[in-house]
Amino acid sequence: MPLLRNTAKSEASEKWEAQLRKGCLELAILASLWGQRLYGLEILRLLEENSNLVLAEGTVYPILGRLKDEGLLQSEWVEADAGHPRKYYWLTAAGRQKVVSMAHFWSSFATNLNQLLKPVLNGRGRS
Amino acid sequence: MNMTSCNPMIEDYFFQLEAKMTDLPAADRQEFTRELRAHVLDRLEQVAVASEADCRAALKALGTPDEIARQYRLERIMNRSAWRLSPLPVLRTLLRWTVTGVQGYMVFMVAFTGYAFAACFYIAALLKPIFPHNVGFFVGKDGLNLADWPLPHGVAVLDAYFIPIVIVLGYLFTVGTTLLIRSLMRHFGKLKQKI
Repeated sequence: MPLLRNTAKSEASEKWEAQLRKGCLELAILASLWGQRLYGLEILRLLEENSNLVLAEGTVYPILGRLKDEGLLQSEWVEADAGHPRKYYWLTAAGRQKVVSMAHFWSSFATNLNQLLKPVLNGRGRS
Repeated sequence: MNMTSCNPMIEDYFFQLEAKMTDLPAADRQEFTRELRAHVLDRLEQVAVASEADCRAALKALGTPDEIARQYRLERIMNRSAWRLSPLPVLRTLLRWTVTGVQGYMVFMVAFTGYAFAACFYIAALLKPIFPHNVGFFVGKDGLNLADWPLPHGVAVLDAYFIPIVIVLGYLFTVGTTLLIRSLMRHFGKLKQKI
C-alpha cells in the first residue's frame, strides 16, 4: 500500500513539474531570441544549457509556429553555404515588448515565491 | 556525413508523423515537417558518419510522432483559431474535432445553432427589400415573427430600422458563437492536455 501511495505521489509531482516546464517554455523561447536570430536547434541548445525545460525536442516547433502566428516572432528560411536550409526566427517589436513584460512578471513572481520558500528550504519551523 | 543507413528510419518516422496529421492543411503540414527534417539533419551533422544508433537517438530526442502531432494540434486549437474572429478557421478545426468525440459533437451543435440564428438574421436583411411586407418584426399572439407568407400575422414594429437591427444581430450572433465555441475548444483542449 505505501508503495502504491508513493507511486501516485511521484506521478502527481511529475505532472506538476511537466506543467511548470510547459508554462515556462514560452518565456524561455522568447528570451533565447533576445537580440539574435536563431534556428530551431540553436534555440534548443540554449535552452538545454540554461534550463531543464525541454523534454521532447520536437514539441518546441509547434510553439515557435504559434508564437509566429501571434505576431511575436518572424521567421525566414536561409540557405546555408554547406548543408541544408534552416529556418531562422527572431523577435518582432511585439515579441520584444511581450518578453520584457513576461520577464518583469517572472522576476517579481520568483522573488516573492523564493521568499516564501526560504523557511521550507532551510528546514526551519517544522511541525 | 553519411546518412544512407539512417534514411529508411527517418523516412519511416516522417511517414508516421504525416499519417497523424493528414487532417491538417497540406501547406502547414509540409512547412512543419520540413523544419523537423532540418532539425534531424542538424542533429546528425554533429557526427561524421551517422550510425543507426545516432539516428535512433536523434529521433528519440525529437519525441514520438504521436507526441509531436498532439502538441502541434493543441497549439493550433488553443491559438490559431483563438485570436481570429472569423468563424472559418474555428469551424475547420471544429469539424476535425466533431468526428473525434462527444465533446466535439457538443461544441459543433452549439456552433450550428448560433450560426443558424446569425444566418437567419442576414437572410432576413437580404429579403426585406424584396418582400417589404412579408419580412419584418411582427409581434402577434404567437410571439415575434421575422417573416410570414402570404400575409404577416401581428403588428410590424421598428420597420424603418429592420435592416440595420438584423445585421447587427447577425453580427453579434456570429461573433458571440465564435467566441463561445473558441472558449469551449480551449477549455476542452486544456482538458485533453491534462489527460
